Amino acid sequence: MTAKSGDPVSLPAEASTPSKSTQRVPAPESPQAIQTRFRVIAAFWAVIIFLGFPIWWQTTSIYRAHLPIQEMVDWADGKLPESQHLLRTTQHTLDDLNEFAAHHLRLKLTNDTNGSPPRTGNDGVDTSDSTPEHAADIALTVHVRPEEGLVAPRSELQPHTTQLDIFYPPSQIPSPSTSNPPLSIFIAQELQRLYGEEKATIAHILSGEIAGLDSASPELTESISRRLRRSMKYAETYHLSFSLFTPGSAPSSWDIEAAIQEYLAPLLDAFAPISNFTIDTQVQLYATFSPMNPDPIYDEAEAAWTLKKEDLSAFINAAEWPLNPSIGSGPTLNFILYVPDPSQSPMIVKENRASSWIVPQWGGVFLLNPPLAKGQTSNPAYLEQDSLQSAFKTFSHQLLTLLGTPSTPSSLPLRLQTLIRVRAASLLLSASSTMGSLARLTESLPSIPIPANVASSVSTTLSHLSATCSHLREGRFNAALATARVAENEAERSFFEKTMVGQVYFPDEHKVAVYLPLLGPIGVPLVVGLIKEVKRLVAAWKARRV
Amino acid sequence: MAVDRRMVGVFGVAFVLRLLLICLFPSLPDLLTGRVEVSTPVNSFKRLQEGLYLYTRNVSPYDGGVFHQAPLLLPLFSLLPDIHSNPIPTAIFYFLVDLVNAYALVQISESGQSIQSRLHSAVRKHIQWDGVSVAAWFLFNPFTIATCLARSTSVFTTSGILFAVSNAVSGNSVNAMLALGFASYLSLYPALLFIPLVLVCYDQRLQSSKKSPKAVGYVLQHAAILAASVVGLLALSYLITGNFWEFMSATYGFHLLVPDLTPNVGLWWYFFIEMFDSFREFFIGVFWLHLASYVGGLTARLRRQPLFVIASLLGVFAIFKPYPSISDASLYFAMLPLYRHLFPLMRYTFFAISAILYSSLLGPAFYHLWIYAGSGNANFFYAITLVWSLGLSILLADSIFSALRDEWEQDHPEEQGTEVKQV
Repeated sequence: MTAKSGDPVSLPAEASTPSKSTQRVPAPESPQAIQTRFRVIAAFWAVIIFLGFPIWWQTTSIYRAHLPIQEMVDWADGKLPESQHLLRTTQHTLDDLNEFAAHHLRLKLTNDTNGSPPRTGNDGVDTSDSTPEHAADIALTVHVRPEEGLVAPRSELQPHTTQLDIFYPPSQIPSPSTSNPPLSIFIAQELQRLYGEEKATIAHILSGEIAGLDSASPELTESISRRLRRSMKYAETYHLSFSLFTPGSAPSSWDIEAAIQEYLAPLLDAFAPISNFTIDTQVQLYATFSPMNPDPIYDEAEAAWTLKKEDLSAFINAAEWPLNPSIGSGPTLNFILYVPDPSQSPMIVKENRASSWIVPQWGGVFLLNPPLAKGQTSNPAYLEQDSLQSAFKTFSHQLLTLLGTPSTPSSLPLRLQTLIRVRAASLLLSASSTMGSLARLTESLPSIPIPANVASSVSTTLSHLSATCSHLREGRFNAALATARVAENEAERSFFEKTMVGQVYFPDEHKVAVYLPLLGPIGVPLVVGLIKEVKRLVAAWKARRV
Repeated sequence: MAVDRRMVGVFGVAFVLRLLLICLFPSLPDLLTGRVEVSTPVNSFKRLQEGLYLYTRNVSPYDGGVFHQAPLLLPLFSLLPDIHSNPIPTAIFYFLVDLVNAYALVQISESGQSIQSRLHSAVRKHIQWDGVSVAAWFLFNPFTIATCLARSTSVFTTSGILFAVSNAVSGNSVNAMLALGFASYLSLYPALLFIPLVLVCYDQRLQSSKKSPKAVGYVLQHAAILAASVVGLLALSYLITGNFWEFMSATYGFHLLVPDLTPNVGLWWYFFIEMFDSFREFFIGVFWLHLASYVGGLTARLRRQPLFVIASLLGVFAIFKPYPSISDASLYFAMLPLYRHLFPLMRYTFFAISAILYSSLLGPAFYHLWIYAGSGNANFFYAITLVWSLGLSILLADSIFSALRDEWEQDHPEEQGTEVKQV
């Protein structure tokens, strides 16, 4: 660098006074050279302006589709007209709990402190003489029958239908004059009892973990929360995996297809409105216990090989048994049929002589001890459908438990209906709160893109949420569950949209770090060159004016 | 043309040397084919074999996403005998391509355009190499030999570029455009050479004929020829593949969007591995514009020496291309000896050559440490590619500096030999 280094290059050399140093002044720049430099700078800036900026604009602009933020937040807070209406009607029916109205049973779903959109498990109860329009939506049919020789009315729930038979002594026929006949009170109490657990469950779901529900006893609350802990999170599709494990070479086949058709398919059909199921089966021979698992002990008193209860958690050899954690989209429920080696047969659980147990949120295990003829040293090579019956009955129960079906009342259809309502309620709640989270997320991060498919998912969710509410209000629970499922699916899809999630942890300050390291070094000479050139042009223009 | 005995000697020795190498070390071609320095996803012979296998079995060669080269190479290579049973004919084909390239260099050199053109006349005319020496520099450059033995398809692009230049300097502007169209069809980036190349043709035309054509019309006419040749080749490719958009996206889309980040000697792969996804498109645009923006600036600054602009741009491409390999460097090194008269003006030759030697020796070692030994990491290799690019950049900047100095001395004959000062 010389003494002239401070001088801008663009100034013609004549303009600068000769420096005091001995160095010679470089020859003046020719106008041609100045023009060349102008062209070079113009060439670079032309590329930047005509190609660079459009590319920058095109590739970094963020598309944010419009979202109905206020509506989404309202759903999450339970403030929407639909839900408020629902709340009102619920309250209304709650208020006349003491009167007997044949067409509505109401829930004691009081003081919904969270402000979540309340759902009634509002059961339309038809008496037998009414003509229902939607047969599928009738929760319970009450047959009221006179029976001689009774002192007090009694009730009987049919285990395979949704029918409650109430027998009453003919003397108790309510006369129009009495306002609270004993029979009506009895029916009301019966219904209350039937739906007690459902009420508590819904209240539990709505209130989250808040304990001390006023309406439910502590034992009931405890059993409900235990059941919820055991059961799987709701999914659109569950994958059922049935595995036959045996430590030896036999049995090597089983009549699984017929067994599933016979014992399980009806149950799965009944579940169809709630979830879909896919099934796979496998047979694994020479499946050994994990080395960590203590071997079963022979118990003389029981004449059986026993497993200790506390060791059951290590029974499944997770390292070696090929049990896929999840196949396809939904969660997997594993059902394991373990046939012990003849040398260790029969095998039972020591404490309670049980041969099956449930693994919470994972599946179930059944120990099948095939009857061995005297002196027979090997298991049968083929398991008949009949020998699988007990196992599949157990699996059915385990499936019901794992899917969160309530334990009361005794009628299975009623329990499934209860499950439909509970699931609809929890899906409605979860979809609403997902909407709220999405709204908060998009508001707090103005830089994340919102693709158009998220916007359409959100609008689908919102419309299905309101449809669910109106279905619930009118007692169409199957339709409510169907719409709630759609709402939940769409809500999850919009929340976990890939292109959005990637940007969540990308604050604006990071952009400096993205742009500067590369564009800084390139940009500085270009900008300085441009400034000098502009200065020169301005100076030349001024000189011409003077 | 008179057969030059020296030329025959150099070409013969180059041919025999290559033949000896593959006969003495039969595994050498396959070893070089697998090296990332030589084979990139867009010129790898292995990938060409994959495409060829699919093509000869009537499957779309772009199925499977391995093959990304121009479809016209496929019928050409399907004529050659099977590489596994009979590798010699393919190798000899590549040797001949190398010799043809060298011949084009001889023609460029003998036209004297690098020393004396319409607007420029070098000051140190006496310092120069003749065509055969330039060809020898090309033929005996280890990078060229490695590229040739690795059977990289870049050599066809090299041919296209060299023939475009040699036709341009000898006045066949239409042939020059056709050759450039062929090179652009193969590798896309040579299309950026259009402006300096058309200037070479234009200067040549003005020099040779009295009647001077209108500059704008001349440029447009040649642009049309270039476009027509590319369109013709694309139409032929369409006939071969049958699915236009598939091959367009598999070849040019692959060049433009850089989806394969296999390490190479360039600067893109590491940068895009580290890049945030949402900025990927933007920086791909930035990198391509960076590459393209040199064209305008260099052409404007060195208007008097368009051939030197082409040589410098080839250097720029060898550094900043998305999938550079040493074949790009060897093309740049082939053009440099044409400017032997600039060498005395260059200031950092020692440093640049040391950096290039250092990186070409340490590069394979560090790659081995990273990939095979596992005792190094990606930064080892990337650091070496940085040194390599640095060496090339120094050489490039130094040669541009000396070309400018040469121009300046031509303008100011009284100042010859004075110290240079940066102002």
